[in-house]
Formats: sequence, structure tokens, C-alpha cells
Amino acid sequence: MHHAPAGGFALSWEGIRTWLGGRWILAFLLLETVYFCATAQGFASPNSAQMLLFYGVEVFLLAIAELFVIITGGIDLSVGYVLGFASIIATKVISGLADAGTPPLAAVVLGAAVTLLLGLIPGLVNGWLVAYLGVPPFIATFSMLGICHGVSELLIGGIYAMGLPRLAADIGSGRLLYLAPGGVYSFFVRPEVERGTAVVELVPLMVVLAAVVIGILAFVLARMRFGRHVYAIGGNRDAALRAGIPVRRRLLQVYALSSVLASLAGLVYALKYVSGKADAGASSLLDSIAAVMIGGASMFGGSGTVGRTLVGCLVIGVLDLGLRMSGTPTFDKYILVGAILVCAVVVERYIEGNGK
Amino acid sequence: MNAAQAGARAARAPDRSLESGGKGFFASGLGRSLAKNWAACFLLVMVVVFSLTGKNFLSIVNFQNVIHLQTLPLLLAAAETFVIITGGIDLSIGFVAGLASVVAAKLMQVFVATGIPVGWVILLGTAGSLALSLLPGLLNGVVITRFKVPPFIATLGMWGIANGVALKLCQGFPVAGLPDALPRIGNGYLLYVLPGRFVSFFDKPASFPDARIRELWRLVPYSFPFVLAVLGTLAFVLRYGRFGRHTYAIGGSMDAAIRAGIDVDRHLVGIYVLSAALAGLAGVFNVFQTGIGNYTTFSSMYELFAIAAVVIGGASLSGGKGRIFGSVVGVLVLAFMENGLAISGVEPFYRYIAVGVLLVIAVVIDKLFPDLF
Repeated sequence: MHHAPAGGFALSWEGIRTWLGGRWILAFLLLETVYFCATAQGFASPNSAQMLLFYGVEVFLLAIAELFVIITGGIDLSVGYVLGFASIIATKVISGLADAGTPPLAAVVLGAAVTLLLGLIPGLVNGWLVAYLGVPPFIATFSMLGICHGVSELLIGGIYAMGLPRLAADIGSGRLLYLAPGGVYSFFVRPEVERGTAVVELVPLMVVLAAVVIGILAFVLARMRFGRHVYAIGGNRDAALRAGIPVRRRLLQVYALSSVLASLAGLVYALKYVSGKADAGASSLLDSIAAVMIGGASMFGGSGTVGRTLVGCLVIGVLDLGLRMSGTPTFDKYILVGAILVCAVVVERYIEGNGK
Repeated sequence: MNAAQAGARAARAPDRSLESGGKGFFASGLGRSLAKNWAACFLLVMVVVFSLTGKNFLSIVNFQNVIHLQTLPLLLAAAETFVIITGGIDLSIGFVAGLASVVAAKLMQVFVATGIPVGWVILLGTAGSLALSLLPGLLNGVVITRFKVPPFIATLGMWGIANGVALKLCQGFPVAGLPDALPRIGNGYLLYVLPGRFVSFFDKPASFPDARIRELWRLVPYSFPFVLAVLGTLAFVLRYGRFGRHTYAIGGSMDAAIRAGIDVDRHLVGIYVLSAALAGLAGVFNVFQTGIGNYTTFSSMYELFAIAAVVIGGASLSGGKGRIFGSVVGVLVLAFMENGLAISGVEPFYRYIAVGVLLVIAVVIDKLFPDLF
């Protein structure tokens, strides 16, 4: 094999390949952003960056859920419908509690806790099927997709679950910091100003929530024993078993984590859109898996990181927002995400030198 | 990986069969064939139960309707059967069917505008759409074999692409304004019988008043011979043809297939093209059935139900196993379950739950008796 000399003018394929390494997807993201800044009106503004993050929260959470599962060599098809299920549970429980006379804040907190707790159940069943009964992840999680869909529709008895208290909406679309002209600022609550004054709203609360959760998970995956075990199981399950890793228990935990994250995404959805819907996450399946794969993970397990998955999410998010702002119908998004997904896997193979 | 699994299964098989030999019933001829065809047995039991619980479930008209409406799922399940036997998966078929449906409808719209005879409009629209539906399959096959992208990813990409193109073509609305003849062909019957009075082929007698149409027995929708011919051919090819033998060989062990001199890459491209072509056929048939071009919605999940049917029918996602007959039984199990539950007055949403539970049972049975199939 020929190795290019470092530096100099000797540009060779090997050299480019080594340099690009894991960076090509960042370069792609940059190109994409520049393109939309040039073509989509109003895209080049700090506000659109906030919107990008705000609308992307669910996909960020689902992609991280999917990442853990994919690193173990599995797949979780149920995340989208667990999201829908959780959005309905959150809406029903919070509005039920509020109607029963619970103070709004207590209703929201209790409702969130119930949602996350119930959100554990699909994951535990998935994990039990996969780890202890040996059902292929594809089948186990597809079954769970059906079950969540059915239960959601039964619960909802209509198209939307609604009736959340005002506070829920305030939290869902709330910002961390508000700036009004004249040095007025306030945290969490929109300052009382005259009608018509422009208030700068910074950092959506839901983004903060997602950032904290994802930050913790990134640490767990990269630095803690749990994370090491997850990679080991995906890398070589037999070796992981021989090394004394409790493979079955870890798998159960990974599927439970995935489902809790999806439920968190459902909670976020309910707070953001003040409603719950069975198919709220139906179209997110492609986005979440694509984000992980664009981020360089392997379908066969053992690789993938939180950081690169987030870049994958941003690639999709920028595309989505950019297309919306340039006024193209959102249908283009599906085509492009599909194409980028396949191209990303192909490019990844070539850069790593596995492609022949 | 497939080879290793197949090897492991082969290694496990002898002592497993000894084990089940000790169990008696399931080793004997009758018990064995019962367990092997558990899905068919389940279908029978289900039909009996629903006949007791649901009024009007046990009737020729109902059975005809159920099967007629399953034409699209049957074709998709047949497509998925081939892919799954090779150890792959095709997630794109649902949206390829939607794409074919929209393309056929759009083409027919264009031809109607040119004023050519209706027969040509339908023929050209159908042919054009079927030809175009080979393209996604070809792309899937090339990406999977040449660029070594896992089938799950390649076809998930096509899932998005086909969906996006279909939506873009129809702008998110069903395509209407097609020839009236379409639904008449798609929903026509071979026999029209008024008991004790007359039997008429292909159409009701012109003199028969529309007001009394309910007294008329309409038997054997055109979709039956159509589906039977397609599935029969596929089953024959899979069972007796060289193409079928190679399909099983690749799924059983990719390495062994290569060593046996099979051009695996070319065969796999063929498999994915076949899969897309069948999906296209399903989509075009849908135009005949409904009279409009329907894009596929996200919540319809045709591809996932097709995979479910194939797995319930005894195939394994690790490849090497599966039959067209089994997949047909799988589709019918799902269809009669939905219909029977609806007729018995159960909320339709239990269907999704029931599918999930059934699917897990299928796989667990497969795990418990690996030597049965």
C-alpha cells in the first residue's frame, strides 16, 4: 500500500482520505449551511439556528436512543410510535391532573414522571424479547411499534389528545433568557413590556433539557463502564460474554434507555405542540436512523459516537429548515435524506478503505 | 455472519432433533406437520372462532372481499419473501408501490389529455409505470452489491426517495380524473349469478335493473386469477426453478453460494429488481382497484406488515428459509384477524396489538423448534 508523504504538494487519494477521515461529514454540513445561507432568505440569522435546535429536539433525542441500540448491533423501530404513545400519556395525565385541581406545576412534573415511567415498559419488553428470548431486534421492536400504535389509538379515541394547561405550553415554548430594549432582561418568564416592543428570546427551554440529557449520555457512553460494555457487546458479543460482561442485562438496559429517551421526546412533543398524537413520530424513523448512520455508525454494531450522531442530526435539520425557508415543498426532504443516507454509508466505506 | 449462523444451526440441528425425539408428539409425522404449519392451523382456528362470534363473518361475500382487498399486501409479501430468503430486507416496497400508483395515474392523466382511446391510455400507463418501478430495485441492488451497503440502509434510503418522489409528483393529493373503466376492471367479477335465474360472465346482463343489484351474487373477482397466476408462477420458480435454488443457496450460506459458482451479485440485483417490480405491480393494481393514484402514507407501513406476514409464514430474517405459500398464509392470518375482529365488534386498533403479539409468537416458535422448518 502506498502512503503519501505528509505535507508538500503531493496530493494523493490516500492523503486526502487520511485527512478527511471522520471530518467529511462536518465539511458536508458546512457546505450545506453555506448553500442555504446563500439561497434561502432569512436562513443566515441567529434565530434560524435557534429554530433549527428547537424543532430538532425530538429527532436529537430519538437519534441518541437509536445510537445506543445500533452500537449493540440492534435496531429499534418502535421509537417513533413510543414517542406518539408518550405524547398522548403526557397530555392525558397532565390535563387530567390539572382538571382534578392539582396546581399546574405539580401536574406537569407528576405527568412527566408518569410518562417516563410508563415509557420504560415498551423498552423493557423489547429488551426482554431481544436479550432473553433471542427474538431478532427488528421483529421485537416492530411488534412493539404495532402494540404502541394500537394502545395509543385506543387511549386517544380521536385524532388528537388535547387540554393541556397553559403552563405546559409556556414551558414547551419557553426560553431561558428574554432581552427587551433598555437593558431589561428576565429568565424563564417573558418580561411585561408594551405591545409592539421587540423582545429577543434566547435558548429554548426544551433545547436546554435535551442538551443536558444528551450531555450526560455522551459522558456515559464515552467514559463509563456502561458505555464500554455497550461497545463491547456490539463489537463482538461472544468476546463480551467471555469477558464477563452481563450481556443480557446490558441489552435490556439499552432498549429500556432507548424507550425512555423516546418517551422524553414524546413529552417534549406534547409540551411544544400542546397536544398528543399516535403517529406524532411516524416519519421520524428515517430521520433518527439516518442521523446515526450519517454520523458514521455501523449497522453491524460496535461503532458510533454521540458527537457524530449530533452532526448527523444537524445535517438533516439544516436540510429540513433550509428547504422550508427556500419555499420548496418538504417532500424534497425525504428524497434528499434518503440519498444522503445511502451516500454517507458508501463514502464512509471508501474513506475507511473497506470499499472495493 | 449469515454463513456463521447457518453453520451454527446445522451444528445444533442433530442434538436438537434427538431432544425433540424424546418429546414424542412433535417428532411424529402429524405433530411435526402441525407445528410446521402452525400459522395455517391458527388461520383455520381463527376462522372457526370468528364464524361463531361475528355475524356475517362466515360468508362467501365476506371472504371474497377480504382476499380481494389483500391483493396489494399479497404481492408485497411475495416480493419480501424472495428478499428475506436471501437474508436481506427491502424496506422500500411500500413506497415503491405508492410511487408506481402515482406514476401510473399521472401517465394516464397525460394520455387522457392527448385524446387517444381509453384502452391505450390504460395499457400505456400500466406499462410505463411497471417499467419505471424496476428502477428503484435496480438502484437498491447495485448499491447493495457494488457498494456493499447493508440492505437495511440501502432500502431505507430508497424508502425516503420513493416516498419523496411520489409526494412531489402528486403534491400530496391523490391523483384523480382517470378513465372510469379502471375501477370496473379492478373490481369486476368473473361470474354474475342470480340464484335460480341466470348465470352471466364478466358483466351483469344489460337488462338487469340496478335497483336489484343486491340480489345478484358476484363471484370470483378478477383479482383472484391475477394474484393466483402471479403467486403461482413465483412459487413455482422459487421451488423448482434455478433462480429459486440460487435464492435459497445465497440465504443459506453466501460463501458456499460463491464457491458453488453462483454469480451472487447478479442474482441479488435480480432479487431486488423483482421485489421492486412486484411492488410496482401492486401499486398499479391499486390504481385499478380504487380508480385513483394513491401515494403511500407513513402510517400504512405496508413494508412492515409484509415482513410480518413473511415471518409469520415461517421465514427467518437470517435467511435461507421461507415459502410463498407460508407468506400467503401470513397475509391471510393478518387480514382475517383484522376483518374478524371488526365484524365481532372489537375496536380496530386491537389489530395492531394482535399483529405484534402474533409476530413475537412466530419467532419464538421458530426459536424453540429450529429443526422443524
